[in-house]
Amino acid sequence: MNMIEFKNVTKVYEDSTIALKNVNIVIKKGEFVFLVGPSGSGKSTLIKLLIREIPVTTGSIFVAGRNICNLKASRIPQLRRNIGYVFQDFKLLPNKTIFENIAFALEVIGKPAYAIKVQVPQVLKLVGLANKINSYPHQLSAGEQQRISIARAFVNRPPILLADEPTGNLDPATSDGIMKLLSRINLIGTTVAMASHDKSIVNSMRRRVIELEEGEIIRDQKRGVYGS
Amino acid sequence: MIFRPKYFFGETFSGFRKNFLMFFTAITTVAITLFIVGFFIIIVFDIQAILSSIKNQVEIAVYLKDNVTDELKTYLENEIKGWDEISQVNFVSKDQALEKFKKENEGSEILKEIQGNPLPASFELELKSPEKVEQVALRFMDKDGNFIEGVDEVIYGQNYVQKLFSITAIVGTIAFLIIVVLLLAAIVLIFNTIRLSVHARRKEIEVMKLVGATNWFVRLPFLFEGFFEGFIGSVISVVLLYFLSNYLLIRVEKAIVDTMHIKDLAILGSNNIILYVYAGLVILGGLIGIFSSGFALKRYIGV
Repeated sequence: MNMIEFKNVTKVYEDSTIALKNVNIVIKKGEFVFLVGPSGSGKSTLIKLLIREIPVTTGSIFVAGRNICNLKASRIPQLRRNIGYVFQDFKLLPNKTIFENIAFALEVIGKPAYAIKVQVPQVLKLVGLANKINSYPHQLSAGEQQRISIARAFVNRPPILLADEPTGNLDPATSDGIMKLLSRINLIGTTVAMASHDKSIVNSMRRRVIELEEGEIIRDQKRGVYGS
Repeated sequence: MIFRPKYFFGETFSGFRKNFLMFFTAITTVAITLFIVGFFIIIVFDIQAILSSIKNQVEIAVYLKDNVTDELKTYLENEIKGWDEISQVNFVSKDQALEKFKKENEGSEILKEIQGNPLPASFELELKSPEKVEQVALRFMDKDGNFIEGVDEVIYGQNYVQKLFSITAIVGTIAFLIIVVLLLAAIVLIFNTIRLSVHARRKEIEVMKLVGATNWFVRLPFLFEGFFEGFIGSVISVVLLYFLSNYLLIRVEKAIVDTMHIKDLAILGSNNIILYVYAGLVILGGLIGIFSSGFALKRYIGV
């Protein structure tokens, strides 16, 4: 089953920079895919298109078989509930505890309190930070904060998890931990797409690599490495 | 979307706790600005009420010649009573006039000087609409500018009355303009403060949007928040105004009323206008709060 499909997608920004040129990608359910390429190559644009943060210029994008390009504004939240999103800079809310940060993601999509009470500790266990449930983000290390951010993205068990440079702010040892976590989430059956700059991580994982350059796919390789 | 009051109120109030400084700033801004606006409105209403009390005391005194017969007097009295502008006519006889004069000047040297009764009889006219005073006074003259038969003199404080009317009009216009300007300043100030408190939480909005919260789900807590800030702020301003007007203004007003011999105590003592001012301020506060929040959100909600 195709989880994500880009069909002849072109994105031109308002200032007429061309971010993506006629891109075609098919990502199957349960795949783990790296998006690599220099800054400005179109990785972030690709991710933003997927969550409909920005609209496509031409072409179509399918998520789980549904064309998301003609989605009504009122249906966008539904799309986003099926896609977990991990930021490079974590984006945890500093005035909420870890529990509240994760619970927040469930509250805003209307989950009842009893479900939240069960799901939050569960996902914290999964990321290995069950003991930090009452801490505040600033009391955690960067790596721990990223784990919490992943927990928040995954707590709703979305079929797709997108990560935009999740290890960009982390040292190599911590990054390894994050990659192990993402692999585990992938093993459960979640489709994971991760944009990365990090050569050693991409090389050590031996997963599918899609390389972009100036908005075009120049390489799509199973079990690839960062540079060809 | 299911409406979940517990979540919305919970978010609003935990927001109050965690962003205390922002809330405090917003509420104080609302309280202070609306207090100033309200204070000015009350003062203006007050001045207007006092002025119109003074206006209502505009009278015309028609002095009669000593040789006026009872017949002519009755004729004049009936004539005057027939005019639409007149609300009341009092006849003051020569004797009554002297008595009144004596009373007003009791113990004064001047009484000893008086021999016989030099004072004329008169009609005192009260008007329904004080602005027509001149028009009415002119009826006691014929076309050559002489007083009609039996009338010696007509006095209505010619200069003073005209001045009073133009002052009232000017004060009214200026006050209205000042209130409008103050109100606009208050709205802008409140709007900016509340916008800042929304801006302070833009990260939260971004996260909410990206985890799939619907727009209304993002919006509602902020609208509640804006409403509470506006509402609480305006209630504080009303409480302050209440104490200020009941303990301070009313005394000032009494003093003015006493020294100027105004018959009815104006707005604060007897009028409901002030209640409307209070209600208006609270409604205004709540509405500005909601609209400021809603408007400020527009920028962030389009993630």
